[in-house]
Amino acid sequence: MPDLIIDGRPVRVPKGTPVIAAAESLGIVIPRFCWHPALGAAGACRMCAVMFLDGPVKGLEMSCMVPAADGMVVETFHPEAVTFRRRVVELLMANHPHDCPVCDEGGHCLLQDETISGGHALRRFPGRKRTYLDQDLGPFIQHEMNRCIHCYRCARFYQEYCGYLDFGPMQNANRVYFGRFASGPLESPFSGNLADICPTGTLTDKPGRYKSRRWDCQRAPSVCPHCSLGCATVALSRYREVVRVEARENPAVNGHFICDRGRYSFGYAASAERPRQARADGVPTSMSTALALAGTRLGGVVEAFGPEAVAVVGSARSSLETQTALTALARAGGWRGPAFFADRTEQQAVAAALAALAGGRARSLAEIGQADAVLCLGVSPLHDAPMLALSLRQAARAGAVVAVADPRPATLPLPFTHLPLAPDKLPGAAALLTGAEAADAAAIQRALPLSPELWPALERLAPAFAAAGNPVLVFAPALAAQAPADARFGLFPVLCGPNAAGAALVADADAPACDDLARAIEAGEVKGLVLAEADAAALSPRLAAALPGLETLVVLDHLPTPSFAAAKVFLPTQTLFESGGTLCNNEARLQYAAPVAPPGEPVSRDGRGGHPPRDYARKLPGTDPLPAAALCAVLALEMGLDMPALSFAAFTGVGPEDVAPEGTRATRLPAAPTAPAPPSAPPGQGLVVVRDDALFATDAYGRYAPLARAQAPAASVVRLHPDDAAGLGLADGEALTVTVGDRRIEATLAVSAAVARGAAVVPRLPGWAGLPAAIGPETLRRRQP
Amino acid sequence: MEEKKDKTGLLREVLDGAAGLAGSYAATLTHLFRRPVTEQYPEYKRPMPARTRGRIILTRSPDGKERCVACYLCSGACPVNCISMQSEEGPDGRRRAAWFRINFARCIYCGLCEEACPTLALQLTPEFAFCKDAIEDFVYEKEDLLVDHGGKDPDYDFYAHAGVAAGRPKGEHIGEDEPVDVKSILP
Repeated sequence: MPDLIIDGRPVRVPKGTPVIAAAESLGIVIPRFCWHPALGAAGACRMCAVMFLDGPVKGLEMSCMVPAADGMVVETFHPEAVTFRRRVVELLMANHPHDCPVCDEGGHCLLQDETISGGHALRRFPGRKRTYLDQDLGPFIQHEMNRCIHCYRCARFYQEYCGYLDFGPMQNANRVYFGRFASGPLESPFSGNLADICPTGTLTDKPGRYKSRRWDCQRAPSVCPHCSLGCATVALSRYREVVRVEARENPAVNGHFICDRGRYSFGYAASAERPRQARADGVPTSMSTALALAGTRLGGVVEAFGPEAVAVVGSARSSLETQTALTALARAGGWRGPAFFADRTEQQAVAAALAALAGGRARSLAEIGQADAVLCLGVSPLHDAPMLALSLRQAARAGAVVAVADPRPATLPLPFTHLPLAPDKLPGAAALLTGAEAADAAAIQRALPLSPELWPALERLAPAFAAAGNPVLVFAPALAAQAPADARFGLFPVLCGPNAAGAALVADADAPACDDLARAIEAGEVKGLVLAEADAAALSPRLAAALPGLETLVVLDHLPTPSFAAAKVFLPTQTLFESGGTLCNNEARLQYAAPVAPPGEPVSRDGRGGHPPRDYARKLPGTDPLPAAALCAVLALEMGLDMPALSFAAFTGVGPEDVAPEGTRATRLPAAPTAPAPPSAPPGQGLVVVRDDALFATDAYGRYAPLARAQAPAASVVRLHPDDAAGLGLADGEALTVTVGDRRIEATLAVSAAVARGAAVVPRLPGWAGLPAAIGPETLRRRQP
Repeated sequence: MEEKKDKTGLLREVLDGAAGLAGSYAATLTHLFRRPVTEQYPEYKRPMPARTRGRIILTRSPDGKERCVACYLCSGACPVNCISMQSEEGPDGRRRAAWFRINFARCIYCGLCEEACPTLALQLTPEFAFCKDAIEDFVYEKEDLLVDHGGKDPDYDFYAHAGVAAGRPKGEHIGEDEPVDVKSILP
């Protein structure tokens, strides 16, 4: 722990800390372009020069390159250092295109800040400016190479930190160029971070191009709702529209970065299809009329059939506030529910996954980056939780062994072993790798007799996992029973929605699931249903099929789901950006997303792209939606119910006032319920259906975000192992017709040895939700031309 | 001795007073025969200096294109928030205002927007008198603000200097080298 003095103030920092970081811990921000806390030092920009007056290093040195040492006396405002930095800025500006007015970085540009604070105002260099041609880097990043100052941040992030190689530095000397060999979309699913880390306007955000200046935006800390990890984000909104989402630093969760799914799927909130007006029997009406009608209809059902005839369904994408309000509403009325999960097994699985985290075994994303062995069991990191892949990459860079046991093909930007195993084989594989003793060859062959191609890999992995001091098991909730008793293993469940953990905490252990409610509707026991921010079609196909049997269906939502179309009474709700809310992530960490966008139709649509209307006295269009929790309270009032004052503290042990900025772990976890039975082999000959997420547009919100939808593959793909494809007489690339219930879906077949034998990998889209657990040749058919 | 002094002092004061009165009456009398300096506004409109701060216009560059790039600096500088706009990319790749609005009912004609404008698009003109019957009519849109000349700086063209490829390819702006060939290893 070196002690040093910076600008006359003593500071003690951990060994190895560069002086620039030591100064930052005192609140002294030394100017920098190339140094970044997550990327380390490159010494490329020469901007962080400070004067070392005493100690092991003396003279003018780069503070990012010198590790703090005992006895150092550093002066950041030494006249020599200030002059040096001023000249560095002038040199960096010698080739600058002077286009700040048309540059999107203007207003939050590090180069602009340093140039102005250094006092450089007039170009003294008489020579000509170096120029570069730009490339088209795809839909997310705008390239403007003339603005580059060659700090190498982009290349270090893209290649070293993320592990993708299609973008990087080229040429030499004064001609260094950052780009791709040829124009084309960036391959990395983390490419959006380039716009955040670039200290100039070289790489800027393309979807937000020419939309706004930073100073005009309302900004608030938010939480990403596009997978269960709950990465910290900053949402920027202007003219009643979220224009950009950026990464926010949360050292315990996502570090400094977020994935492209989280960054570019915000469009659902301002989408033209978003329902913003209440409806009664499909006819637009006022909020008060719809609320009164919902009260009357539900009251009628209660009067005729009793309170048990009304049920409430919530979902894993609502905030804890909404889930709590639904519970309070259901309790006040004596109604059934709320149901948050498709079936009882899923609910028990998520509860079991959370219960396993008790006793300090939960690991955060940051801690996965420090693990020395990670087994992903039934989890495809890049698709189920993209930022997990980045943490695995950091672990692998530090020498960790990474294995992914999952039936779906896995691509990761790191050296890892993929064990493509059907779901019923996963518990066996987990037992081989999570035991205290390394499994020997005989045990491996006994456990997986039909997968000889995996034996060598398992024989290599088993001793590495047995010897690991800090291994982590990343698992899908269905495999919660495989969480090893060995306390060495940290646990990291990956769940099925941004607030799935919250739903599992809020739901009663004996609460009905959607399938139970569907059964009750079919039996005529339930006549009225309240669907709050839940899509029956995506949640439970059986429930969706049972909806016509209801007397009344009240839907509260902000997404244009099929359930919205089926609603008898529709009440629009606000999004997370408008109402704010608390989400509980996969490691039971509660995080608060602050409201950022004012409600209402975006100005861009209100003015049809041109001048906004000049009628200042009118009511703003699209301001009807209310927070779902508030709607629950009003609905209770309409029906004369006495809604109990309930806080989510009752379910999580952490109240709204206790949620820290970096998140607070729930203190009340489910008492270890009966762990779900491990997945078993399907009866008969069929292929087990395994659902796969894509990076974009398969999560509940991304499906309704225009930009994310534009990135989704045009055709649905079914993936099979070569043996299974041969068994069905199908070849790679063939056009298929998949029969789901009474509908037919067109898809193409992709055959790959990276798919587990006996598994059929299909996209996780609502249209595919009706597939049975196992399918055969009668479902997968060659498309007749 | 003292009395005599007092008498002469009194006499001088009376004479001085009379001279002062006569002088000012003389000045008034001479003005009776001069041409009046009062200008009969609005019958006569005095030509104002070019830098007088009056109604705002959006000018054009020498090639006739809109100078405004909707950079938001004027609206950022405006102390009374009377300027609002939305930027967009035009068909020629130039950044421009999709809409641009100045509320002259709120404008205080301080000229900070003109100082902030990096492309010399926004300029204040000497026109200061433009009354309206309804206050909403003071809200000027882009069509009302755009003029077809360069205002006080007719020769300046921002896009001739800024090194972005909007209309003019890279390397052809003032003071620029040919673009670097990233695939050549020649020195």
